[in-house]
This record gives sequence, structure tokens and C-alpha cells, in this order.
Amino acid sequence: MISFAIFFFFAAIAVIFAAMVVLHRNPVVGALSLVASFFALAVMYVLLEAPFLAALQVIVYAGAIMVLFLFVIMLLNLQHQEEPRTRPVQQFLGYTTSAAFGLALIYYLAKFGVTKLPEGAFISDARTVGIKMFEAYIFPFEMVSILLLAAIVGALLLSGRTGVAKDEETS
Amino acid sequence: MHGIDWVDVGLSGLKIAVVLGAMLNVTPIMVWVERRGSALIQDRPGPNRVGPFGLFQSFADALKFILKEDMLPAKANKVLYTIAPMFGLIPALTTIAVVPWGRPFLLPGGRLFEPIIANVNIGILLIFALASMGVYGIVMAGWASANKYSLFGGIRASAQMISYELSLTLAAVSALMVAGSLSLPDVVWRQTGSFVLFNVVKLPAWNIFSPAMWIAFVVFFVSAFAETNRLPFDFAEAEAELVAGYHTEYSSMKFALFFMSEYMAMATMSALITTLFLGGWDIPWYNEPPNALGFALSVLAFTVKVSALLFIFVWVRWTIPRLKYDLLMKLGWKVFLPLAVINIVIVALFIAKRWI
Amino acid sequence: MIPTHWFLILSAILFTIGVCGVLTRKNGITIFMCIELMVNAVNLTFVAYARQFHQVHGLLFVFFVMAIAAAEAAVGLAIFISLFHHRHTIDVDEANLMRW
Repeated sequence: MISFAIFFFFAAIAVIFAAMVVLHRNPVVGALSLVASFFALAVMYVLLEAPFLAALQVIVYAGAIMVLFLFVIMLLNLQHQEEPRTRPVQQFLGYTTSAAFGLALIYYLAKFGVTKLPEGAFISDARTVGIKMFEAYIFPFEMVSILLLAAIVGALLLSGRTGVAKDEETS
Repeated sequence: MHGIDWVDVGLSGLKIAVVLGAMLNVTPIMVWVERRGSALIQDRPGPNRVGPFGLFQSFADALKFILKEDMLPAKANKVLYTIAPMFGLIPALTTIAVVPWGRPFLLPGGRLFEPIIANVNIGILLIFALASMGVYGIVMAGWASANKYSLFGGIRASAQMISYELSLTLAAVSALMVAGSLSLPDVVWRQTGSFVLFNVVKLPAWNIFSPAMWIAFVVFFVSAFAETNRLPFDFAEAEAELVAGYHTEYSSMKFALFFMSEYMAMATMSALITTLFLGGWDIPWYNEPPNALGFALSVLAFTVKVSALLFIFVWVRWTIPRLKYDLLMKLGWKVFLPLAVINIVIVALFIAKRWI
Repeated sequence: MIPTHWFLILSAILFTIGVCGVLTRKNGITIFMCIELMVNAVNLTFVAYARQFHQVHGLLFVFFVMAIAAAEAAVGLAIFISLFHHRHTIDVDEANLMRW
């Protein structure tokens, strides 16, 4: 009973703040609304019996990625840039196609909904996830670490601060 | 849903009241300790007018904060300016919910009373998750103040906090590896008991006495200073450099909230250090019985350890000078992060060879 | 117990809002944030199915998706910063040198 109330409350929060990301002009407000939306999604993960992933969602997404977004927005001082108005034709087409797509998706998901869950609790703590990761998914794990290294090198190179002496225009 | 267990609800409410009361009282006590302690170190009297030994200085400060004019800078973003202090306070107050502060004991009715508000099995991840929320308070405070220097202070402080969060997390992993669990009561239970060194001396089985954890302890301790923005890492405030950093434009209750959240974060970090490395509520060389006496003694032991660490926070503030910002960032990324990772390897070696 | 298809419908709604944002906005950072929203909606679907079938593989996939999204955010923001330095505008329609 109370889990239904929690579900509806946090689902409403997630949807409302996600809509604010799309609709509000100011990117700082958009970034902070996205943080609130991610928090609501973390609560959804707890309702889905995956508390480990809920903590990871807050640590990685809301706590690191969005901080990076906020840094970029604030350092480039983007909220004073006037975003040009989207042409009405593009707005209309964008809203209608995405609404049609969304409605079709929701219709089919609601039609083929499954309500029967297996018995027993869902063992999803850190130990189980860790064992599965280091047994079955060890190769993707190592690949992801190399990918993160590539991303770090790429980000350093693109921002122009590799420590090699460069001319002034790329500072 | 059948009948609610009202005794359980009542006990939880009692636990929340006790912990909340303790956390809210940390600030006035620490204000006094800080001012008298720093005066002691700097060879001057300190506040001694308001009450005996200046003990009522905190009341005078609180009254000043309440009565000051609450202002809003003209160009500031009103909503963000107002909610930024809350983002600083929420992690400070909620992360203490997963720290065990006493020995679980049996109540007369046979029920086990666990002195921890939320015994979730992902305990310490909750602390890290909520601590990363604290960065938003600083960033928003610096940006919403519409003041260049506040923005600089805010960005520098938040960059420092997210850099040292990494070494904090990895250094804590070594204590978690030994305990084999993410929940803090398990970490403390692992540190009860004792082990015999060289067949001669019997040491309590605290994590700090095992050589595998020494590097982790140092890294965690220093990163705790960086996380709570205390000297030698206090670029957020940086008196004499940035006026008051990200909370320059704040006055009265909003400033008091930042002030409080800093001391509460210090208390939470000290509680975390004692839980992970100093044995939590464990009394050395004594087997606490599972009754009210054992519980009271364990709470006393926990309080003594946390208080000692809080005094060390004050002591270090007036002993070590502030680092230059780029040196600080280099230290965080190039020294502490590799050390924390090396420590994980060392602890893994110790566990594999069953030396720990 | 909350039925799984409710979570899937919530995920579909969030995904649709993300698609809407990508198609309608012109600010590069906002488009990027809407992409992150879409990725999170898909994460929710994975976790919902992981609970449905009591398999941990769904959670592991979300783990990897989070790591990759972090890498993508870092590189994407670096690209956006260098684009901003050269063009001095945040309108993505202005980045049109390679159009015919």
C-alpha cells in the first residue's frame, strides 16, 4: 500500500522534473531538474529491490556526471546566451512525432503487461553483483576500464590541455 | 499489511531523536572547542567573557545569527540562493543514519535493540551517495551569489571535493574488504575481539593496528579533511584570499546553516573514521555484555573516540598551513589516488595469505 | 508488489520526454541532458526486467551503461566546449560546416 504511494509520488517527481529539463530556457535550472529526476529514479530502483544500483545511480549520475554538466554550464556562463527560438514547424513536428511514438510504446507495454513475479526475494546485493561481474562479465569490465582511459585522454586532448606547449589560440 | 509494530516505531523514533539531538548539539559544542582550542594553541585567552570559561559563547553566537538581517543580493538567483544551504545541511544530517553508535543489546522483552537508525545492507554507499550531494550546495551557493569571487571559491571547493571523494572511497574499501560487507555494523563486529602480536602483546582487533591499513588510514584521514573543507584544504572559505569564498554573500540563518553543516560533516567524518579504522563502539580488551551496561559503555567509548578525532580536526587547523590550490589537486590525484589503489592490492594480499 | 509494466510505462514516458527534448531544443547542453534522460529511462527498463526474472544480468548491464554514459558525458562535454570556443554560440544549428 505504502509502496504504491511512494511509487506514484516519485514517478510524478521524475516526470515533472524531466519535463522541466525540456521546457525551461535556463540550462542551469534544467541541469538541477535533471538531478532531481535522477534522484527519483534512484528511489524507483529501491522499489525494484536493487538498492545497490540506487546508491550507484546517485553516486555516478547525480553526484558526478551532473556536477560535470553544471561545471561546464557555469564556467562557459551559458545562461546568459540567448538560445534562439525553435521554428514553430520544428516544434510542432517534434512534439507530435515524439507523442505518437510515446503513446504507441505505452499502449503496447500496457497491453502485454506481466504481473506474476517469481517466488522468493531478489538477491541483488553487492556480493552477488560482484561475483557475477568477475565471473561472467570480466572481459566487458576490463574493456570498460580501457574505454574510460580512452575517454579521459580524449577529453584532455579536446580541451587542449595536454601539457605540451601549444600556441595561444588553443588555451 | 497487518498491524504495525508500534514498539518498533517508538524505538526508531527514540533513536532518531537521540542522534538528531546529538548532531544538532555538535555545532555549539564545537564552536566553543574550536575557539578555546585555537586560543590555547595560539597562546591567547579566547572567549572568556560570556559565562565561565566562555561556555555560553555559543548561545551568544546563535542569538546573533537569529537577529541579524537576512538579505538577498540584488542580482542573485533567488530560488537557488535560498536552497543552497539546505543542500549543505541534508548530507550532514542524513549520513549519520547508517553509523552504529553502540553495542546491540537485549531489551527486557527479549527484543534486540540495534543502535543504528537504518541498518541497510549497502550502508557505506549511502554515505558516499549523500556526500556527493554536498557538492551541489557549494556550487549553487557560489554561482547564485552573483559574485565573481564566490563563484571562484565555489568551483575550486567543489573540484577539490569531487577529487578527494575518490581517494576517500577507495581508502574505505580496504576496511570493507576485510569485513566482507558494505554495512557498517559488520565492519565494527569484525573489529571486536583481539589478536596476539608476536605471542607477547594482545592488541584489540581494530583495523588501525593491522599494517595493511596504515596507508588507507592516512589517505582516509587526509581526504576527510578535504571533504569537510577544513584546513589545510579549506579553499571554500580561504580567509584572506577570497574574503569568505562561496558563502561571502550569505548572512544570518543561511550562513548559520553553512556553518552548522560544516561542523556536522566533521562529526560524521569522525564517526566514520572511528567506525572503519578505530573499532567503532568497541572497548579495547573488554568483552561488552549484551545488556544495558555494555550498551552504555560502548556508547561512551564511541563518544570518546569521536571527540578525540574532533579535537584533532581543530588541532590540525592551527598547525598546518594551507596548501596552494594546484598542489592540493596534484596531491589528490597523483599521490592519494595511487596510494589508495596500492592499499587495496596490499589488503587483498593480506586477505589471500590469511594474515589479517 | 508493484507490477512491472508500471515501471516500463514510466520508462516509456521518460524516454518520450527525452526524445521530445532532442527534437525540439537547440541548446547543445540541453540536447545532451535529454540524451542522458533517455539512457536513464532504458536503465529503468533493464532493472525492471531484472526484478521480473530475478536475474542479476540486468543490473550488471545497467552498471556498464552507467560507466559508458560517464565516459560519453566527459567526451561530449569536451567536444561541446571546443565547439563553443570556436563558434561562440550554443546553437547547434550553427555547427553546419559539413552540410551540403
